[in-house]
Amino acid sequence: MKKEYQEHADLIKVADKRVNFWSKLFSSKPAVLAAVLIVLFICSALFAAFIAPYPYDKQNLPEMMQAPSKKHLFGTDELGRDIFSRVVYGTRISLMVGFLSVLISTSVGTVLGALAGYYGGVVDQLVTGFTDIVYSFPVSLLAIAVVAALGSSLFNLIIVISMVSWAGYARLVRGQVLSLKEWDFVEAARALGASNLRIIVKHILPNTVAPIIVMATLEIPKAIIIESTLSFLGLGVPPPTPSWGAIMNAGRAFILDAPWITMAPGLVMMVLVLAFNLFGDALRDALDPRLND
Amino acid sequence: MLRYLIKKLLFMIPIIIGSTIIIFLILHLSPGDPVNMIVGPNVTPEVYENISRSLGLDKPLTTQYFIFLGKLLRGDLGQSILQKRPVLDIVLERFPRTLTIGVFSLLLSFSIAIPMGIIAAVKRKTAADYMSMSFSLVGISMPTFWFGLLLLYFFAYKFRIFPLSGYETWKHYVLPVITVGLTDAAVTARMMRSSMLEVIRQDYIRTARAKGVKEIIVITKHALKNAVLPVITLLGMRIGWIFAGSAVIETVFSIPGIGRLMVDAIFSRDYPIVQGSMLILVISITLGNMLADILYALVDPRIKY
Repeated sequence: MKKEYQEHADLIKVADKRVNFWSKLFSSKPAVLAAVLIVLFICSALFAAFIAPYPYDKQNLPEMMQAPSKKHLFGTDELGRDIFSRVVYGTRISLMVGFLSVLISTSVGTVLGALAGYYGGVVDQLVTGFTDIVYSFPVSLLAIAVVAALGSSLFNLIIVISMVSWAGYARLVRGQVLSLKEWDFVEAARALGASNLRIIVKHILPNTVAPIIVMATLEIPKAIIIESTLSFLGLGVPPPTPSWGAIMNAGRAFILDAPWITMAPGLVMMVLVLAFNLFGDALRDALDPRLND
Repeated sequence: MLRYLIKKLLFMIPIIIGSTIIIFLILHLSPGDPVNMIVGPNVTPEVYENISRSLGLDKPLTTQYFIFLGKLLRGDLGQSILQKRPVLDIVLERFPRTLTIGVFSLLLSFSIAIPMGIIAAVKRKTAADYMSMSFSLVGISMPTFWFGLLLLYFFAYKFRIFPLSGYETWKHYVLPVITVGLTDAAVTARMMRSSMLEVIRQDYIRTARAKGVKEIIVITKHALKNAVLPVITLLGMRIGWIFAGSAVIETVFSIPGIGRLMVDAIFSRDYPIVQGSMLILVISITLGNMLADILYALVDPRIKY
């Protein structure tokens, strides 16, 4: 009887914690705004064909380099292409690169970090040494070098960004695993005959999910910025695919006569990146009990 | 201290050798043929072979690497394929411009970020805090090149305060330094604030306050030295970030520095130039990291050499 009560109380506590998390997360207005913006951007990427008033590659020379107007919300470029339509389609590239590269780098980093933290010894030294080198090397230089070698395409871009950004997760997960594996519940699982794989996957990793999610949320905007930077240098997705960085790179030559070609995509990008950063910060505040006081 | 320095210097060697291997490999495994870049795709096999041999491209990769490394140790970075001049000359001619932007933006960044982070932490949850953190959030959300283009458009074109392009006078460097300095300050200020917040929660700060030390002394004497430590660790990374970002900033402001040189050489497949410019960036970054380590050791007495 008593045990049942205890279980019941525990369940309430867990439920309480969850309600607490969501109410805490969405009690902050910036977080709500950021979430709404992110959803809007995702919709515009999914439904680009319906939202964009013109095809992204439709040239219209009589209307080239027009300033923003009702007909062309963000103006037109040197080939008369509608910047707004190009920016809407560009959302696809940015979000795809952001989500996919973070997915890959999170997986790679988590696996390596977990192995290093759990097994220690030589595995740990190898992984940590490798991680330290990648981590201390500036991401953009590494990315430029790799793109120079692999050539530029959307696929390569995602691979490159994943290759240069897994190290942060590896460090994070290794540290978490290192302290978690000393806990009694791990000992208990081992006593019950659980395999190492089962202990890592079922018992340790679920406890590291929260900080990984926070980190991933804050890494998405970084990936988006790296993509646009590489595209701006001409090392990104090849034309005519509209990526925000590539639009700005093309607009650079006309910045004095047609500043909107560079200004509009940059502004839109800033809003998206800001939204991810705000959301990530709010997520961290809601998940990190240390900051609750 | 000397031993510490030597240890740090020795530690640089494997990093630089590792980088040369990586730089060498990825560029040679990449698609695109330097011979065709020089003479075009339609050449007779004899001409192709001649050029290939004169560039040393016909030898096996490992041999090419050791030739490259051996020359490197003698300070010979090879010849530029397109410019037909020693790479070292080209790189050294351009490096001061990159270094100028790097040093001054770092100075600007730290002189803004450190006071800003301190004020934000001390006046937590006041207008000053919210304002500086909004500044910093906007700063980290903005792509550097876009901010640079914005400044270029307004301050060089609309208001005509600074020149549009060129690199001859100090005026040409103002906008690039502001661009890099401010975006960098955004990151550092956030770091400084959270580090300061951590420190002013400590017991010794409470003790200092309790014994009646003035708040300004508590902050500047007791808290600052400890709070600035993580920021100095960050310094190494920031130096790396600034050098690596040189490609972007030099593109925006049309400054012929190392970064732009590297990107142009990637497009023209001028291997020796790419290797030389990447190498000098790597060396600068490693030296910068070392400098940060030394500074850290000087500020923190707990570090033993």
